[in-house]
Amino acid sequence: MVVPKSAEDLEFEAAGRGSPVGAAALRRPTPSPACSPAPAPAPALSAEAGELWLALHLPTLAFDAVCREGDASQPVAVVEPVRRVQRIVIASRAAHARGVAPGMALAAALTLEPRLDTRNRDTGAERALLERLAAAAGEFTSRVSLEPPDGVLLEVRGSLALFGGVDALCAQVSAACRRVGTRARLALAPTPLAALAGARVSRGRAAAPFRVMHRAQLVGALAPLPLATLRLPQDTLGRLAKMGVNGIGAALRLPRAGFARRFGHETLATLDRLVGREAAPRRAVVPRERYRARGEPSYELTSQPALVAFLAPMLEALEDFLRRRQGSITALECRLHHRGGAVTRCRLRFAQPAFAAAPIGFLLGERLAATTLAAPVTACELVSSRLVPRRSASATLWQPGEHGGGPGSEAPELIERLRARLGEESVYGLCLVPEHRPEAAWRIAEPLVHRNAGAGARQAASAGAAASAVPAIGADRRPLWLLSTPLPLPSPAGGNAWPHYEGPLEKLAGPERIETGWWDDRDVARDYYVVRSGAAALLWIYRERRPPHAWFLHGVFG
Amino acid sequence: MSDDPLARLLQHPALWRGRSAAQLPTWSTGFPALDASLPGGGWPRAGLVELLTPRPGVGELRLLVPVLAQLSGLTPARWLAWIAPPFEPFAPALAERGIALDRQLIVRTAAPLWAMEQALGSGACEAALAWAPRVRARGLRRLQLATERGRTLGIVFREASAAREPSPAALRLAVVPHGGGVEVSLLKSRGGARGAIHLQFGDGRAEER
Repeated sequence: MVVPKSAEDLEFEAAGRGSPVGAAALRRPTPSPACSPAPAPAPALSAEAGELWLALHLPTLAFDAVCREGDASQPVAVVEPVRRVQRIVIASRAAHARGVAPGMALAAALTLEPRLDTRNRDTGAERALLERLAAAAGEFTSRVSLEPPDGVLLEVRGSLALFGGVDALCAQVSAACRRVGTRARLALAPTPLAALAGARVSRGRAAAPFRVMHRAQLVGALAPLPLATLRLPQDTLGRLAKMGVNGIGAALRLPRAGFARRFGHETLATLDRLVGREAAPRRAVVPRERYRARGEPSYELTSQPALVAFLAPMLEALEDFLRRRQGSITALECRLHHRGGAVTRCRLRFAQPAFAAAPIGFLLGERLAATTLAAPVTACELVSSRLVPRRSASATLWQPGEHGGGPGSEAPELIERLRARLGEESVYGLCLVPEHRPEAAWRIAEPLVHRNAGAGARQAASAGAAASAVPAIGADRRPLWLLSTPLPLPSPAGGNAWPHYEGPLEKLAGPERIETGWWDDRDVARDYYVVRSGAAALLWIYRERRPPHAWFLHGVFG
Repeated sequence: MSDDPLARLLQHPALWRGRSAAQLPTWSTGFPALDASLPGGGWPRAGLVELLTPRPGVGELRLLVPVLAQLSGLTPARWLAWIAPPFEPFAPALAERGIALDRQLIVRTAAPLWAMEQALGSGACEAALAWAPRVRARGLRRLQLATERGRTLGIVFREASAAREPSPAALRLAVVPHGGGVEVSLLKSRGGARGAIHLQFGDGRAEER
């Protein structure tokens, strides 16, 4: 048997709906119109002083996204068309050693290294890798945000104590990056932009990483960094360079009013955000995860027990996945692939979010037992619903039913078992609809797993609902049983004579006229009677008021 | 309570005497005449009851309405399961008779015995009603054991012809229509009481004739 391969399928939702990370998110000053020369006076350092940002800069992202494990030692380059010329984006170390450099045209690179293997750049894969990294970083902090194209930010002030200090945390984050399949340069700073700028600076191996723990040291630490690390527009950088301003420190020393006039308020705001004079809120990544795993048995599976045995380790992997995320799932689909591409789908829906392998396996086994396999199974795939946070309940001291012990988890388990074997629609509850037509006065409801309030409140509510929903008819005027489709009754004498149902019928009460429902094309006009049949059962029958005045059996009093 | 040690000993629930009703926890049936004849004074809280009727709809369900209303109003209320009922339970009529609808669980199945055993044994139901025309004594035995496991009242509706077959159920009743009510005959009970009781369904009240 082959160990199932698991891949975690991630969906991200970074922009748009996530909440801003920064505490002072809404305090952005409105940019003044271009004609107004006076910039705002330098604001005081903002209040969110406690933050500490860990930036992950991925210099080799373009390479890692498209290249495989052993490519680094081969002459490999990632290329991208720039103005119809294929240019090198990044090259492997082996290619680099032969002189292949980023920005070089592919033709020139091939002259230097004829054996050069090229890959096309795939920005989608880069984004996916970035998102996988963000999901992995969720292990360290809940405030992770994406910095496309090649950065991830983590707010780690609260995590330092938990992960054993700065060094230990950085080591663990680096290890997480390697697991995802890329390498990151790390930098720590009290503002997100400063951390990103520090991470983007290329330093030698021996140099200490950029780490600024306190805001007081921030400006001093940033001063030697080149302005290019801020990724300002190219012409802004060019004009600053012509003025002899190349470092961040030099830019910060320029007078604010003149700086804003020459380079725009947005550039000034970037510098303010860099040193923390202005808040730089980040959107937190909200990973929307599903579990997806595929396993291929070494031989084709034909029987239900074999399938269950094969799925068991996959379900355990699922339980492990869910435990690490403290999540649970509301539905699980098992796809059984057959030879030739045919797929049998088994969909389980849980009465309440599930996470343990054993009950899920039991339900899946029940469902598989009810499924007929068209052909032998060559592969199994498990796809979960979206994760919901796990709600753990304390175990009850009492057994259900004794000393007022609650029904506990038996209730949803029972529903799941019954549904797994009999199908979703075979198990249901009841609820009332305020209607006069008997067939429309009730409908199927989802069984209520979580009971509300006490029985007293519920009884009062249901009595109230009954009183308001149904006009008081008086007990014993409605049958306990209703036929889902009224049964036509023959009337042997014809015409207006009484119908027969297993013999003549004796009228006890009636008629009661129900004439309503003109608004939805199922209007009824009926005269209802309570009758006693020859076999002494009490029946509820009606006669259509419209021609042909047919008789129907609609209920049994039970 | 008597101070007589023998009388006190005989009160012990584990002690069963041939001709006397042992003390077992019960739910009142809502009909004083029926309570008086049933062992323990009502439906057993955990046990299998067989109701034999000549045909569905002779009044067997109305016999159960008081106990169903009582069970659905408990705190906390477990479910009342209806397994393979012959028709649709009519919700407005149930609500009018005081049965809480949010505690009802309807199960449609062609295999009522399996579903009944699950419902009885799970401990999630206060009572489970099953309409199982073809059921063997072995199946009933499993159900009886399941009622004890889940502390559930199980009620199986069968045809009157089944009265000749042996049954492990704790209580067997034959229900036939009689006038405006039913005649209930005890076929088997712990304690050995036999006899027929006539119940009249007036407007929700029962009288003994």
